[in-house]
Amino acid sequence: MNKIDFLTRRNFIKGLGATGVAFAAPGMANAIVADDSIHWDEQVEMAIIGSGFAGLAAGIEATKHGCKAVTIYEKMAVYGGNSAINGGLFAAPNTPLQKEKGIQDSVDTMVADQLKSGRGVADEKLLRHIASHASDALQMTIDAGAEYYPYLQQLGGHSVPRTYQTKVSCGAGITQPLVRECRKLGVKLQNRSKFEGFILGKDAAVIGIRIRYPYYFEDENSGKLLHIRASKGVLMATGGFAQNVNLRMAQDPTLTAEVGCTNAKGATGEGMLEMFRLGAIPVHLAYIQSGPWASPDEGGFGYVSNYAIFNFPHSIAVNCLTGKRFMNEIADRKTRADAELACRDSAGKPLPPIMITSYAHAKEHPTCENVLKYGVGWKFDDLQSIAKRFNIPLQPLQQQVDEYNAYVKDGEDKQFGKSMAKAKGMYIQAPYTVVRLWPKVHYCQGGVQVNANAEVLDSNTGKAIKGLYAAGEVCGGIHGVSRLGSCAIPECMVMGMTAARSIMGA
Amino acid sequence: MKSLISCSAVMAMLLAFSSAVMAGDTLVSQGKMMGRSYHQQLYTKHQCATCHGVDKPVSRAADDSCLKCHSVDKLAQQTARQGDEQWQNPHNNLHYGKDVPCTECHGEHAVKQPICKDCHTFKFSKFQE
Repeated sequence: MNKIDFLTRRNFIKGLGATGVAFAAPGMANAIVADDSIHWDEQVEMAIIGSGFAGLAAGIEATKHGCKAVTIYEKMAVYGGNSAINGGLFAAPNTPLQKEKGIQDSVDTMVADQLKSGRGVADEKLLRHIASHASDALQMTIDAGAEYYPYLQQLGGHSVPRTYQTKVSCGAGITQPLVRECRKLGVKLQNRSKFEGFILGKDAAVIGIRIRYPYYFEDENSGKLLHIRASKGVLMATGGFAQNVNLRMAQDPTLTAEVGCTNAKGATGEGMLEMFRLGAIPVHLAYIQSGPWASPDEGGFGYVSNYAIFNFPHSIAVNCLTGKRFMNEIADRKTRADAELACRDSAGKPLPPIMITSYAHAKEHPTCENVLKYGVGWKFDDLQSIAKRFNIPLQPLQQQVDEYNAYVKDGEDKQFGKSMAKAKGMYIQAPYTVVRLWPKVHYCQGGVQVNANAEVLDSNTGKAIKGLYAAGEVCGGIHGVSRLGSCAIPECMVMGMTAARSIMGA
Repeated sequence: MKSLISCSAVMAMLLAFSSAVMAGDTLVSQGKMMGRSYHQQLYTKHQCATCHGVDKPVSRAADDSCLKCHSVDKLAQQTARQGDEQWQNPHNNLHYGKDVPCTECHGEHAVKQPICKDCHTFKFSKFQE
């Protein structure tokens, strides 16, 4: 059954000469089929939806392959999407810094690390494709002016140091140079432009899109609908859906509105849903990563996340209701996120637990200063002050700290079996620093299935949907169950570049 | 206040202030609506078109309309910060440079908050709601 049959089966209404388009019934697919009388408001060769890493990289790569008219449509008022607020960590094998530091690495090694974290369901072919081109993508960012720390980091799950980080410790250290490069090359950027659906040709190929412009976020009636003709292809680089509470709860009922989110507000997933309506294959939608290192006292990823990741091994996490520990502070992300969510007051309302660290240990990490400066963490001289501030019963708290310090001494955590290797000699002692903890939804491993040409595959035929490409977090199945840190940026960049080359026939 | 015509503006203000309904210092009644005190001439002369492009606006002013009079470069100089706070300059910031449309943070007819506050606890002492 081809796509037109599929759409017909779903009561797709065809050809209305008067308007040049046919609208589907409310609640049905938002794709429309163009007929000869359709009025095109704009004509481009390549239309890119979303201005994060993937969209920006695609715009630049397209012009390198001769594209004369490419526009990046961004739903929000500002460019960069979730990429502009990410951590700026970029993993790649065989890079100049690895050569300089004498680090042995290879595409095979990086793929092997990622397959392990993917727990058997990652897409090896796509991971290999991405790892093979990651250093080219890194070079594109450097050529555009991105600046990185002069050292590599070895993040969890990576077998060697292969992670660059921007000097501003943020993805904006990449998106800002890429936005400038796009403007220099004549890639058009248009903000307040919300994707509202595909326009199909008579052979069911994607030949254009509908854009609501100027769109003001969450005012669904703002702006007007424009028909954009994309003669060579449409790239969906629309990101994940971590901010869409209904959609994430449909996959994982524990991810309620009570759970925070590190993502930009626009990460709501409607572009992905529209591809599903067109026939794209949903993959791994329930694999949604939450960070147990986040704080309810700041938005986004914030300062506390990096602080907590560094301090968990030599800190205790305490339930404010009981004054007791409630988890192994270095258990896997899911275990800890669930344990934190279970911390409730007597009425069942969320009661974010606290993490207590010796200031002497906390100050070893540069973010400690920011955590204290911006009031998202606090310094205390004694346990009494902590108990008073967070309304914790003092005696059990005092007892807990003494108990834990005995585990540090013995090298064995009798409460939760935490590995005490990294806590050797690191007693919980005054003065203390405290942050509050509450998990935040961080990354969606799931999305539409693509192949190594960044083509979106059709669930009926298994073949590429003509004219439609996708790159970045909107794609699913690449990382499997769990994505390794610093592997999102290479994926976005490489697949964005790949889509551009596919579209330009390069 | 009594002659406010925009329902959404009223809602926005009520939401922002709940019990104590009061505007920022420069947001004052301009007859039919609230407006900034330093734009009073535009209201007394009914020059809606200055920002909205038409005399009887039905939609928001374009993103670049403020820039006809205000220079983002000059604003960035005025709000420059030093040292580790360099990139907390709202008019030239870490995430979006000078690209944030003015009305994302500044409301002409209603109170708004800097978008930085969505995530950060930075202080902007000179900011007029």
